[in-house]
Order: sequence, then structure tokens, then C-alpha cells
Amino acid sequence: MNTISRPQDALDSAQLAAYRRPPEVVMRLARMGSFHQTRLSFMRSLLRRLKKERWQFKRTLWEIGDDGFGRAVYTVIGPEHSYSLVAFSHELADHKRSDRVIATAWDATFTLFDGVPTSDDLDRLQDNVPKQEAGRVSDSELCLSRANRSVRLWKHVIECLAAGHQPDRALLESVGYLVRTTAVYGSGKFGAADRLTICERPELSGPFQAEMLSVWLTRAFSIDLVEHIAKAIGGAKAVVIEPNLRRRIGVGNATGLGMAPFLINHPVLLNNWIAAREEALARVRSLAGASSEAIDTFKQRLDQAKFNVSQWHSEHPIQLRKLQQLDSDLEKMTVYVETESLAEKHPWDRFYHWAEDKLSLEGQEQLLSLMLEPYGEMVDTLTQCMGADEHRSFFIDGAMNIGRMLEVIENQCDWAISVDYQKKENRARFWYISAEKLEPRVGERFDEAGAEYEQPLCIGYFVRQLYDDLLGCDGDQTIAEFLLARPQHRHTVRRVQTLVSHPYSEIRDNLIAADMLPIDLLRCKLSFFGATKFDPRSDRWVRICMYQDAPFPHELLSAVE
Amino acid sequence: MKEKHTLAEIEAYLRKAARAAGLDWGLAEEAGKAARWLAAFDLPGAEITLAHLQQLDGNDHRLYLPTHLDETWRAQSEHLCPIITGAALADRSGQMLNGREFRLGQIAYPILLVATIGQAARYHRTTFTTSWAGVRVSCYENGIRIEGNRDNLLLASAEFASCAQTQGSIPQQLPSTLACDIDPDAWAAIDILAFKTYAPATEESRAGAGAGLTDND
Repeated sequence: MNTISRPQDALDSAQLAAYRRPPEVVMRLARMGSFHQTRLSFMRSLLRRLKKERWQFKRTLWEIGDDGFGRAVYTVIGPEHSYSLVAFSHELADHKRSDRVIATAWDATFTLFDGVPTSDDLDRLQDNVPKQEAGRVSDSELCLSRANRSVRLWKHVIECLAAGHQPDRALLESVGYLVRTTAVYGSGKFGAADRLTICERPELSGPFQAEMLSVWLTRAFSIDLVEHIAKAIGGAKAVVIEPNLRRRIGVGNATGLGMAPFLINHPVLLNNWIAAREEALARVRSLAGASSEAIDTFKQRLDQAKFNVSQWHSEHPIQLRKLQQLDSDLEKMTVYVETESLAEKHPWDRFYHWAEDKLSLEGQEQLLSLMLEPYGEMVDTLTQCMGADEHRSFFIDGAMNIGRMLEVIENQCDWAISVDYQKKENRARFWYISAEKLEPRVGERFDEAGAEYEQPLCIGYFVRQLYDDLLGCDGDQTIAEFLLARPQHRHTVRRVQTLVSHPYSEIRDNLIAADMLPIDLLRCKLSFFGATKFDPRSDRWVRICMYQDAPFPHELLSAVE
Repeated sequence: MKEKHTLAEIEAYLRKAARAAGLDWGLAEEAGKAARWLAAFDLPGAEITLAHLQQLDGNDHRLYLPTHLDETWRAQSEHLCPIITGAALADRSGQMLNGREFRLGQIAYPILLVATIGQAARYHRTTFTTSWAGVRVSCYENGIRIEGNRDNLLLASAEFASCAQTQGSIPQQLPSTLACDIDPDAWAAIDILAFKTYAPATEESRAGAGAGLTDND
């Protein structure tokens, strides 16, 4: 991890080690599938920066008809760069509205433009952005995305505003958004700018900052659009959404297996995200005492978390069970805070140990998020460590000998080599890319055709195969010699060597087991984005809410985090 | 007319194409990185990688593996594969820091070798120079320098190549592009190869994804 400044009262790295959770505890799918957003989440770090640097916002173009269709541009102006969300609003028949990647038309399509687009740029984008994957953007564009309306809320909000009154708060809060994005592409996809274009710019060097900016501006557009349509219908009678209610509107997102392999394909990035989060927890746990302000902030955020759970709906049996657990865990935390004094010595470490014993994984991870809340000054700079130089970890140390490699596997990969892959349930699945949609999918190895197209995501199984082959070799032989004879292990050797310096780089679970839940991968990644209200629609598909309660662009400078 | 493709696309597509041409995943990753590395210097990384993959496609890769590693490396077939050989050299790049010069017999597209060696130079923060047919390409931590007979830079095959650590010198050419113009026919061929790594749709695959619930809510 990079060296960063830390407050004087914090412990040094060696002393903190006692408070760090080991990868065997953290890197399990069930726990990663219980993560919640934190202060370090990418949406929150983006808004903190924009506020601190006093970014300016302008709606520079509004060519939207009374029917709500047309185009608009929102520009944000920072100290060195400007960025513009270019939005297109389209007519869409209900039967064409699908959140799945197979959709070919949407209610609205977007691109995040690097700078301020000219009218020629807008015309070029108008020809391509509405087509999404079937169009082509250029290196002036940083992201490509689309969104569909929440049909139930959209209509209701427009009708109410047009008639001169506010929408129903309960309905609005239960949905949480007017539009739901269904894909936000970045980093060189479909011709958009390569990540190298922006990785040296402080505001976009952190992970997914361009994508998060794009979604935040999409939220502002969704509000402007409903108010515009309501005004066209209601005329002088129409009203705008009252600010407190408006804050409750975020942006939805629906995501499926397309996102799942990311964490597996970017082990160093995964390590750095998790390591930053774990470092933040360790710093808070190591504190000898808690000030009354810190305790007050914690209690306030605990109340907020309880409110959030009351607003968090899902019909999926897995999530329903988890929500019941979380609800009961939050009650237990409340009782703990009332009966155990947080003013005593090492309050947060004691609280954490109690939670390990008494709470479900949902509750434990919720507590982690809450414990970071009072300590922005101590943990927020950790976001600087959440990027990754993936090129360095690509290099294989060919001089390492087989004896050492075996030692690494035996010490760090018990999760992989202790599994009996002869049992069907332990390799029941396979990950592949569908020729039809060019998207990742999970198949049933023993029931479906196509296992020969398996993607290299079955890391545990690969490590076991590598281990078995290494056992048959001379311990003094080098990895360079081993790989020349057995190139099939090159991918896995790279990963195992990465593990030596990046202990959180591997998910320590079997990613092809019959009971593996892809939604756990999605939840982990989306929690790092800052998503809330995870609502699985199946074991491989989830809806979420982004930016609910966050300030809008025009409110940012006066907003309290 | 040429089409623009980003470095990210070049790496991803050539990785898949290499897999489809029969390379194992770890080597396919090397091919994708090599194509990207060359493209960043405005060299035809995607096209050259494709040309080499087309040589490999369907053949037994063991024929292209380096043998006789203590002397001049040679393949059992007519030429060494620069992806496999480059990976083997990168794995032994520590030996170049100790003064070893690697000598290679007949090798296909030696420029691809440079791409892998270049990445090792970046890792070790040193300079490695690869030479063949009167052309010398020095790879620095962040740049390259091409000297000698540039006509032979993209040669389809060289009889002899060598690779060793050298002293750094300037000026260097730095990576200059993040998106490259690529001939549409070459990209179509890459796309066809990459597509071979995708599984044809089945009823199960169509049914398995998505929520299976209405999105009109």
C-alpha cells in the first residue's frame, strides 16, 4: 500500500497489525456479499472532492420538447478540467423496456464528454450514443450509459407535479429513483477514451470516478426532465419537487453477470480496495478512546442505518432473510450502545469483538461502515490507495523456485487446495462468454453444453491443478523452467505470486461450486461504488440505488456529508 | 478507411484471439499485452500479433517452443513463437541483469519479442536491447529507441536475434497514442478469432441470465 499521512495519534503499521482482519476472514463470498457502502466508497469520495475544490455546474443545453424527448448537456467545471454529461431522451414502447443487456433501445442514453462538446460533437454523438454498443464513440468520450424509467414512479411524479402537488413520499421512497441505469461503460469500451487518458488527473485517478460523475449528473437530469414534462402538462399550476423530497430520489441501477468477473479479473485492484477498507477499520479499532462527538456521530448514523433498513425492500428470499438479520442486528447494536459505555478504553475494538460473536455477517459489515463514519480525518485519505498499477503485477518472477511456490500455496491457498474437485458439486458451474450477447454467463457444467469455452475464473481449481503438478517436480527447479514445460499454469502462477504482496487479491472461495451466488460478487463491487438498497431479482441479478440522499449539483457547496 | 481502436480494445481482443489460436490463457494474456505495448508506440501491434496468431492457428505449439536453452535457442519447427519465447525470456530477465546475452535462432515476428522484453525492462527499471537483421530496439522503463535498418523492424521472420541488457541512452520515443488506426479487414479477422472464445447460445444460457421479472415497474 502507498504511504500516506496519518494522524499523529494513530499507531504505526506494525502495531495496527493486531487489529487487521486476515484475508481468510475477509475474502469469503458470504462476507463480501454482505458489504455496505462506507466513507471510502467511490460516490462519496467523488462528492467530497467536488465540494472541496468548489466545482461549478451549468446546464448548458436544453433542447427537450414538451413531450420530454430531445437532448441536454450538463457541464461541471473543475480547477483544470471540465466534463459534460450529454443526455438524449427517447420515446420507448413498454414492450421494448428491458434492463437486460439484450435490450436495443432505452428511455434515455448518455455519454460523459471530456470537456465541453461543440455542436458538431453533439451531432456526432446523437448518431451514436442512442445506439449504445451498436454505435461508436471516440476518445473524447469517457463513459457510455443508458437508463430506463421506473414506470410506476415516473408517471406518478409527473401527474402530481402537473396537478400542483407533491408526489406521495412513501411511494417515492419505496422506489428511490426515477431512472434506472442498466450499464455504464468506461475505460476504452466501444471507442471511448482509454483509462490512461484520465489516470493522471487527480479528480479521475481513483477507481470509477468518471462513471460515478456520469451517474450523479444523470440523477440531476432525471429530476429536470420530470419537472419539465409536468410543467408542459400543468402550465402555471405545475410545481417543482420540494427539496427534502427531491433528496430522497437517487438513481437506480440494474446489473447482472456482466459485472461479476471484474473482481476476479483485477486482483490487485480488488486487493487495494479491500486493504484500504480493512486499514480504515483497523485504525478505528486501535483507538484508545472515543470522544463524545465521535459517539454522537456514530449514534446518529446508527439511527440512519435503521431508517435505511426500514426503506430497503426485496422480494428475494435470500435478501429477505438477510434483511431480517440486519434489522435484528441493528437493534442489538442499539442496545449495546445504550448499555455498554463507548467512553471506556478501546471502545471500538471491544464493540467489534462483541459483534463478531453476536451479529450476522450483514450486521458485522454494517457496523464496520458505521464505525468509520466519525473518523473522516483519519480514514478518508485511504481512498488515495484504492487505484492500482496492474502492469507491475503482470511480471512473473521466473527465478522463484518450486519449493518456495509450494510454500506460498500451502500458506495462502488452503481455500483452493483443500477442495475435492472430483465431487461434482465442487465444479458444478463454469463461467463463459455468450456469443449471442458478448457478456459473461454461468453455466451448469454437467447439464449444459459449452464447458469447452470456460473462462479462466475457476481460480481455486486452477491453483489445485498447479499444486498437484508442482508436487511432482524438483523443489530447486525454477518457475521459469516449470512454465516452459507447462504453459497452462502461467495464468495461475501469476496470480499466486501476486498473492505474496497482495493478500486480499483472491476471493478465498470456490467460484465454480454449485452453491456459489454471483450476487455476492455484485454486492461487493457495488458497495465499493457506494450503492444502497441491494435488491436481488435472482441469484445473478440485482437492483440497487445510488446517490439517494446525496446533494444535487446546485446544493453541493452547502451540503453536510 | 482505417478504424480507430483503443488500447483497451486491442489488448482485450488480441488476448481472446490468442486463446482462440490455441495459446493457454497465461500466454494469451502476454499476446494481448504485447499488442497493446506496441500499439502505444504507434507500431502495428494488433496487425502483427494477428499475423503471428494466424501462423499458429491449428498447429501444435510444442513445435514452436524454445529448446537448447543453454546455447542458441531453437524451435523444433521452422521458427520460434515470439509470444512463447518472449514470455520465457521475460521469466529469465533477471539473468540479463547479471550480464547474460540470450541468442535465438529462426524466430517469427521478432518485434513481438521486443514487446515482452519491453515490459520486463519497465519492471526492472533498466534497458534491454533486442537486435535482429541490422535493427536494434532498446526498451527503457518508459520508452523505446529504434536504430539501424528500420525496414526490417516488422520482418515476418529473422534467422537470428539476440537480447541483452545495455546502457541507457537518449533520445527515446515515448508511448504516443491511446487509440490506433487499424485496417478494417485486419480488425475483422481479429474479431472472428476472438469470437471463437464465446459459447454459442443455448436455451439454458438465454434463460439463465437476467431477472426473469418484469422491468416495466
